[in-house]
Amino acid sequence: MKILLVEDDRAVGEFIVSELADAGHECTHISDGENGLSAARSNDFDALVVDRMLPRLDGLELIRSLRAGGQLTPVLVLSALGDVDDRVQGLHCGADDYLVKPFAMAELLARLEILYRRAGQRLVDVPTRLCVEDLEMDLLSQEVRRAGELLGLQPREYRLLEYLMRNAGQVVTRAMLLEHVWGYHFDPQTNVIDVHVSRLRQKIDRGFTRPLLLTVRGAGYRLGGD
Amino acid sequence: MRLADVLKSLTFRYIAKYVTTLSAAVFLLLAILYSYFSYGYFTELREAIVDELDSLQLVYRGQGLGGLEQYLNDQHNLPTMGRYSYLIVDQQDRKIAGDLAQLPRYREFSDGWVGFQMALLNWGEPVDVDFLARQEPLGDGYVAIVARNYADAVAGMGLVFNTLFRAMIATLLLGIAGGFFSAATALKRFEKLNIELADIVRHNSRQRLSVEDKKGYPREMAQAMNQMLDQIASLMQGVKRVSDNIAHDLRTPLTRIRNHLSQLRARLDPAGQDDIDRVIEECDGLLSSFNALLRISALESGGSTTFNSGLFLPGLLADVVELYEPVASDKGVTLRLRVGNDTAQCAGDSDLLFQMCANLLDNAIKYTPANGHIDVTLATREPAAVEITVADTGPGIDAGERESVFRRFYRVESSRGEQPGHGLGLSLVQAIVHYHHGAITLADNEPGLRVVVQLPGVIPPA
Repeated sequence: MKILLVEDDRAVGEFIVSELADAGHECTHISDGENGLSAARSNDFDALVVDRMLPRLDGLELIRSLRAGGQLTPVLVLSALGDVDDRVQGLHCGADDYLVKPFAMAELLARLEILYRRAGQRLVDVPTRLCVEDLEMDLLSQEVRRAGELLGLQPREYRLLEYLMRNAGQVVTRAMLLEHVWGYHFDPQTNVIDVHVSRLRQKIDRGFTRPLLLTVRGAGYRLGGD
Repeated sequence: MRLADVLKSLTFRYIAKYVTTLSAAVFLLLAILYSYFSYGYFTELREAIVDELDSLQLVYRGQGLGGLEQYLNDQHNLPTMGRYSYLIVDQQDRKIAGDLAQLPRYREFSDGWVGFQMALLNWGEPVDVDFLARQEPLGDGYVAIVARNYADAVAGMGLVFNTLFRAMIATLLLGIAGGFFSAATALKRFEKLNIELADIVRHNSRQRLSVEDKKGYPREMAQAMNQMLDQIASLMQGVKRVSDNIAHDLRTPLTRIRNHLSQLRARLDPAGQDDIDRVIEECDGLLSSFNALLRISALESGGSTTFNSGLFLPGLLADVVELYEPVASDKGVTLRLRVGNDTAQCAGDSDLLFQMCANLLDNAIKYTPANGHIDVTLATREPAAVEITVADTGPGIDAGERESVFRRFYRVESSRGEQPGHGLGLSLVQAIVHYHHGAITLADNEPGLRVVVQLPGVIPPA
């Protein structure tokens, strides 16, 4: 994945560049808003990571100009401002995701990859059926089968699995699950998500030698893939 | 403001005491003046009588009885005020001359002075009048008696005394009434001060006392109190800034450490990876403490508020309960939600209210033993308030500790070390409740803890 990072803090920038490189991505680092915007307009990138507070041109302004020009490259906003209002503002002006500093690298990576895949799917027809190996989900009848066998899922388990299947092979963090499956952005004090995931795991993996729902230590979960 | 409050007030008591002392002093002074003047009057009266007796003696010696009778007649016809009365008797006490028929029954004073009462005609009515008299021998066995009434003087003095007494009563009454009104005014001012202060302490720490008086102590006091409040506010802000800065400045290096650790982890064997995972978990715990601390600060400092104006609470509660239900049932705790047919709405931030409910449920599940149950209820209270109650059957919190548990990093003594947590959960809950202009109370659920959160509700359009 080719990523453009617009971040004025050198230490943070260098750290992100090296981490993304380790994860196998190609990253260009630019440290001010104006140059960032012209680089982004070149349309050479798969995803943008943009800091909010930038010299010369504010991060949100950058995204607004970019979207006004019809550019659809997924953008993730980084910000030290974590208030709800800031988040809403960020998403409002065309950003696809919002991450509050400081963040764990695993969280940034997981979110970027999902943004990238989602952008790729945009052009494809809306699917009516999701498949991960021998696990199938019919989005119309809302039925889930593994190896042809019907699984009885609770509505929330269904939505959890749907999100995991739509992002199959990708690491999904707990915060992402809370945001997308439960629709709330909050900080759980305990591992509430883990309990839901392990219940779901019981239903889809029990009795099968190859587990599909995996825990990725220090990051989150992944459905399928290696 | 009640009558008893005014009567008990310092101002009123002070003024009442002052007025009483003042009138007592004035009364004493006038009494002294009165006795001084009355003493002088009687001294003069005696001297005048003695003088008159001397004149009678002179007349008798010069002109004999006939001249004396002539003199007495002349005196009788004089239209003077404060006239004397006379009686001349012989050795057998028979009347020789004078306008007194005879000497009436009298009381004897010292040095030959006597006093008696006699009726005088006053506009045709006989009125008893006090007389002071003295008798002295004229010579040849004749005795002269000169008497003079002092009714005028007594009446005058009585009048003075009456006036004095009435003036005293009037002074007392007026003084006390004045005291009552000034006390009432002062009290009203203090009452206002008190209400304002209570409001500042309980609700709005940014509010200041109103400084209405042009000058004087109340104004100076209100100004001094406002200065004190400003100082308290700036001190509190200083403390908060320090802790915020610490949290903020430590957050970034801590994240860096966490990221380095996860890089390191990739290079280790599985046993080493487990160790690193534990360290990472510790890092995450610290980070979440710092984040919670900063969120509490941000909420407490208020700032921009864009509330969702009609947040549907039954849905939100159902979501929280659904999220926590598996954790509860894993622990053998029953989680029940009762919203009835309530359609309670409130103006609020759904993420924050979700966080609030999540923290409360998290605590409840943590402290409720297996086979216990937790009741989450939603009720609409009058006027336009919604009430969310989370009641568990755990050990509860001692009444003495219920206020303290909202303090940052405070942990109930018995749970220290037993339960995970950073001691910020309830602080965050309280900050969220206050951010929404609500109130939170902890009560005994007998057994267990009952947390009641009241939020200003929105009446849904019919």
